[in-house]
Amino acid sequence: MPAQTYDVLVIGSGASGGMTAYTLAKKGIKCLMLDAGPPIDYDRDRTLRAVYDLPYRGFGQPGRFPHVTQANEFNAAIWADEKQNPYTSDPNDPYYWVRVRRIGGKTLVWGRASWRLSDFEFKAKDHDGFGDNWPISYSDLAPYYDKCEPLFRVAGRREGLPQLPDGIFLEDASPESLSMARFIGAAKQRGIPTTKPRRATGQLASSLNLLLPAALATGNLTIVPNAVVREITSDRKTGLVTGVNFVDRHSRRELHAAARVVVAGASCLESTRLLLNSRIANSSGMLGHYLFDQFYVKGTVQAVVPEARDGKGARNLMGGAGYIPRFRNLQTKEKDFMRGYSVDFGSGGTPDPKYFPLYGEALQRALNSHRDTGFSATTMGSVLPRFENHAAIDPNVVDAWGIPALHIHAKYTDNEFNMARDAMNTLDELCHAAGFEVLEKHDQMVPPGESIHELGTCRMGDDPKTSVLNKWNQSHDMKNLFVVDGSSFVTGGSQNPTLTILALAMRASDYMAEQMRSGNL
Amino acid sequence: MRRRRFVQSLPLLSSVPVVLAQQNAPQPEVPLAMASPDSVAKPSPHFFSEPQLSALRRLSDIIVPAIAGTPGALEAGAPEFLDFLIGNSPPATRALYRSGLDALNTRSIAKYGKAFTGLDGAQAETMLAPLRDPWTWKDPPDAYAVFLRNAKSDILTATVNSREWIAVVSQRNRGASGIGTYWIPAE
Repeated sequence: MPAQTYDVLVIGSGASGGMTAYTLAKKGIKCLMLDAGPPIDYDRDRTLRAVYDLPYRGFGQPGRFPHVTQANEFNAAIWADEKQNPYTSDPNDPYYWVRVRRIGGKTLVWGRASWRLSDFEFKAKDHDGFGDNWPISYSDLAPYYDKCEPLFRVAGRREGLPQLPDGIFLEDASPESLSMARFIGAAKQRGIPTTKPRRATGQLASSLNLLLPAALATGNLTIVPNAVVREITSDRKTGLVTGVNFVDRHSRRELHAAARVVVAGASCLESTRLLLNSRIANSSGMLGHYLFDQFYVKGTVQAVVPEARDGKGARNLMGGAGYIPRFRNLQTKEKDFMRGYSVDFGSGGTPDPKYFPLYGEALQRALNSHRDTGFSATTMGSVLPRFENHAAIDPNVVDAWGIPALHIHAKYTDNEFNMARDAMNTLDELCHAAGFEVLEKHDQMVPPGESIHELGTCRMGDDPKTSVLNKWNQSHDMKNLFVVDGSSFVTGGSQNPTLTILALAMRASDYMAEQMRSGNL
Repeated sequence: MRRRRFVQSLPLLSSVPVVLAQQNAPQPEVPLAMASPDSVAKPSPHFFSEPQLSALRRLSDIIVPAIAGTPGALEAGAPEFLDFLIGNSPPATRALYRSGLDALNTRSIAKYGKAFTGLDGAQAETMLAPLRDPWTWKDPPDAYAVFLRNAKSDILTATVNSREWIAVVSQRNRGASGIGTYWIPAE
């Protein structure tokens, strides 16, 4: 039998697992990566098809993805099947758990927004008194942000904003369209900052093409797809983890892989589920608690730029995208909520027909008249980490491989609701000041989880009694166990978390390698 | 006898390498022309009752009528497609549609003494008043209004994603080809 003990066993191949394997393999450490999903060839496994040739005319198979609003009939193959991979939540407070089980994980389909956190997040308690600080500060992570941004070819514009630290970007110096300039000007008048989007660029910006090939090229990485990890195994005598038991997804054959170090990078809730099912790393009782994400108010405002109607606008009137970083509760204190929100906004496109209270010929005339007149903005708000929002094992539900599933409980509170209302009113005001006509404004959040930014269930901290991991993403309880995905977050801010997950995984891997070199692991 | 058998076997033996060579030779790849089911057959609606389907057809014609050479919902087969789609949908969606279409008919009969299909244009307009209310993110409290809102969206989508609609509209707008990147299922 070819079984061997690897230096490091990495569970998951997305942002955190991919970065861990990339960093460690380049240092000469022998890694084994297990992923629950099949491999993917980005060129061969995608093709062009006409929507009318799809079985459901683009609607998708009804009921197949009740909690994945991002799924459509074109991309249905990418999302984890909810029947094979069930979970539960209170029907009155549904949680939308969105998963990808393919090599590359969610980096195959992420929005690529790449923002740094700042000490307004790392030291949030110092700033407003709520919750806990991270055990690290911005300066600890900055060198790793510096390395991740070029790797993911992040483009953006330097602004010098303390709440949104600059980085090493491909400079985006593109001019603003006239409509964007009007909106940005209206924001500036009110002291609200704006910037260009900061996004990873390239045809594909994924672990699949940016991390895994380089790791494989070292000869130090072995990837096993279709390996559904059932539990992390441990030795009670030594108090150390020894490897994992996993199931071959197709044959359901049970196997064990051994390693000196195990790294969970399976995504926030999957890693948490794995630890809970393994009954390890929970001496604090915090495992699974403090689940949070970013709340989204999609299409907070939908407006039109009046001069663009009937194709009469100037050629540079429409187009472009921008971002409002957090601007509340920095130097001042809001009465109704703590922390703050960010906004993605964009000019161009035709408003959805639903916004027009019309039908028949009148609707078609309105759509023709409003072609490429749209302006819309989506709010992404900070969610306060609360102990009561948590994930636990549901004793009554197992997945297709007999592995116990999660029950997820998460609710937003008045802090988030008040923030959403403030965002709606602010954006409405900015749109009117810019001369736009607002078709609809609202503050209805999508259900928790839908932002796909779940965080916090294996939080890091200095105190083993109140946290699961130390500041190196290392289990307080078992020193050869690391959790490198978003579950380690203590707070999340309103910034998309992937860049921080990448930086944390790289930092944890550097530490891991040093500890292994010095014989501590 | 033995010689005869040997001679009889000669052509067969000599042909074996030829056959194998033919089998191994690279064959020119000729794409096989295939037709879609919709291009050769008509759908057989079976989910909605006849009065429900009639109401859906009338509603579809009002929501997306054929305009100046552009096919409408009826030409796109939207009602028949929705019969299939809704019939395969979760129970709540099926109930919403069935009760909504029934309500269209019962309200029409109560007000005009005939089913929705039989109403003239002005009469039908009165049945669709909720669609002229401004759209909001929160669903309206009235299930009939929710049905009309969903039906408007579904009829539009079923129409603009149809082969018939795209064949015409893509002639004047290359962006309306309906072509997208499709992820092939792993297994």
